[in-house]
Amino acid sequence: MTRLLGGREATLAAACLVAALVFAAASPVFLTPGNLLTVLRNSTELLLAALGMTLLLAMGAIDVSIGMAMGLAAIVVGQLLMAGIDPALAGIAGPLAGAALGLVAGAVVAFGKIPAIVATLGLLGVYRAGIFLTLGGAWLSGIPTGLTDLVATPVLGVPPAIVLIGLAYLAVFVLLRRTPFGPHLLAVGNSDEKARLSGIAVTRIRLMTFVVAGALAGLAATFYIATYRNVSMTIGATLPLEAIAAAVLGGTSILGGRCTLVGTVLGVILIRLMQNGLLLVGVPSLWQPVVTGAMLLIVLGLEAGAGSEGLRRLVRRPA
Amino acid sequence: MLRQLKLTLFAATLLATGALPASADPANTVAFVPQLIGIPYFNAMEEGGKKAAADLGVEFIYSGPVDTNPVDQLQIVQNLIDQGVGAVSVSVLDASTIAPVVEQAKAKGVKLFTSDSDAPDSGRAVYVAQATDQGLGYAIIDEMVERVGEEATVAIVSGEATASNLNAWIGFMQERAKDKYPKLTLLEPQYAGGAADRAAQIATDLMAANPDLKGIIGVASTTCPGVGQAIETAGKIGSVIGTGYCSPNTARSYLKSGSFGYSVLWDPAKLGYLTVWAGKQLIDGKPFEASVQLPGFDSPTTYDPATGILLLGEPAVFTADNVDQFDF
Repeated sequence: MTRLLGGREATLAAACLVAALVFAAASPVFLTPGNLLTVLRNSTELLLAALGMTLLLAMGAIDVSIGMAMGLAAIVVGQLLMAGIDPALAGIAGPLAGAALGLVAGAVVAFGKIPAIVATLGLLGVYRAGIFLTLGGAWLSGIPTGLTDLVATPVLGVPPAIVLIGLAYLAVFVLLRRTPFGPHLLAVGNSDEKARLSGIAVTRIRLMTFVVAGALAGLAATFYIATYRNVSMTIGATLPLEAIAAAVLGGTSILGGRCTLVGTVLGVILIRLMQNGLLLVGVPSLWQPVVTGAMLLIVLGLEAGAGSEGLRRLVRRPA
Repeated sequence: MLRQLKLTLFAATLLATGALPASADPANTVAFVPQLIGIPYFNAMEEGGKKAAADLGVEFIYSGPVDTNPVDQLQIVQNLIDQGVGAVSVSVLDASTIAPVVEQAKAKGVKLFTSDSDAPDSGRAVYVAQATDQGLGYAIIDEMVERVGEEATVAIVSGEATASNLNAWIGFMQERAKDKYPKLTLLEPQYAGGAADRAAQIATDLMAANPDLKGIIGVASTTCPGVGQAIETAGKIGSVIGTGYCSPNTARSYLKSGSFGYSVLWDPAKLGYLTVWAGKQLIDGKPFEASVQLPGFDSPTTYDPATGILLLGEPAVFTADNVDQFDF
């Protein structure tokens, strides 16, 4: 099992490397430190959301409202900053708001016994209306730079943003691999009935996972505000799909029970690397999704060719 | 039961449309039905309409749906027609639903016309248009060349690749560059969809890929903040000029920081003024002249009898100097 997951991660790392070599050969700008930093910077929100999505998928759930949750949390952070609240407090409000929204989603799924995709589709509509009503058809713009300075100004030579993202990753890793929560989550993802029979508090695991994923989306909102300093009506619209793509590309099973955090990180980097490189190389805009889509198929296909257990499992497992 | 329902509906109508003051003459009233109430753009149109009503001595009713629902909008229009107001203008949500109402209005002697968003071939009396696609496309290029010169590379970041109005504007930008500024290099348009963050990422990448880039045009209003933010973050204020079709409220902080040199759009307050002025002309049975200079307007409004379009004039250009005069 571990060996196979390593296989997927190796495939992805190789894909990133090949893409990077091609782009570097075609564009003198690609390998400059400035551009690579840009790619990392552009990966931040997606990475955080995708880590949350990885946990949800591993638990056999999904949250398509995660982009709107990020949007609402971003509005909270933005409004607080505009009201003159201390940037550090406003920044912390992001994950808190996200966690609260995650709790709502988790409660609907866990207590309402509604399939996650249906429940979160419903919440997607509600949250989107919430964003529209709060913004009133206008934009939240002209947000002060306090938070931007806070996360970007290096402390001892390292920007706090990098430390925060590292800590978030570490926290998810510890939760998943070093506490009972992780195996329980995977057990629920494999079969919630068996998990229940073996004495796992399925409802609590569900709630907790949604809260963690929500908090990560909320942290993404904090970084979103720090970087873009505005909230549009369409904020977060593409986030859930990209997060799912990154996680699945990374080797997390969409049916639950299996996940890899390193794979998700690589999936995120590959997606953003492709978007950046294709533009630098000058591929016309309309072809960019085609190339990215083909890439996804190739990576998954390579593994199918190698006779992956994961894909055979997909076929064998009753839907 | 039915009677009761009708009564309730009638009461609701009065509430929804703002009943006329007892002293007012319905025939001397111009109504405007926006696509949606409560957003800054239509609020500005309402302000302009009020000003025109005061200047011209007509009553003005402003009433519209609370979300962009064509059926709700239609009901409000029908209610206004039933009230027997002199003229009703509509910023049309769904062109196909308007045609039957035009007949209804004619039968009651109400002048029905469109403003801000048209329903061509519906038989409407006139369409009060904010700007032409050509005017908008040409203006943004002309303004850019004025700032960066003709020998420059300029990028275009659009929204959805399928949006016909955005594509029309881009088409006229390219036409203007080709016909008037042959030395200007317009890069192939990039599409950000509706996402502000994606627009910022694209703008950042474009600046990296084209070190000689002089300007970035954000075509969709959703792309403006992304473009402005990217220029600020890249520390390229002054060397790259951002612009786009976005409202003063959206562009304000970027105009002030200098990441945006200007923004091109139209003034909805003027559009609201012109709408009520056109309504008054229709009520009085006066024909539209080919060109009329209205008080307080920068350029004359023009009328094309062939298309029945009354055009507000040249697009408005917002800069750091004048942006605070607008709130939409």
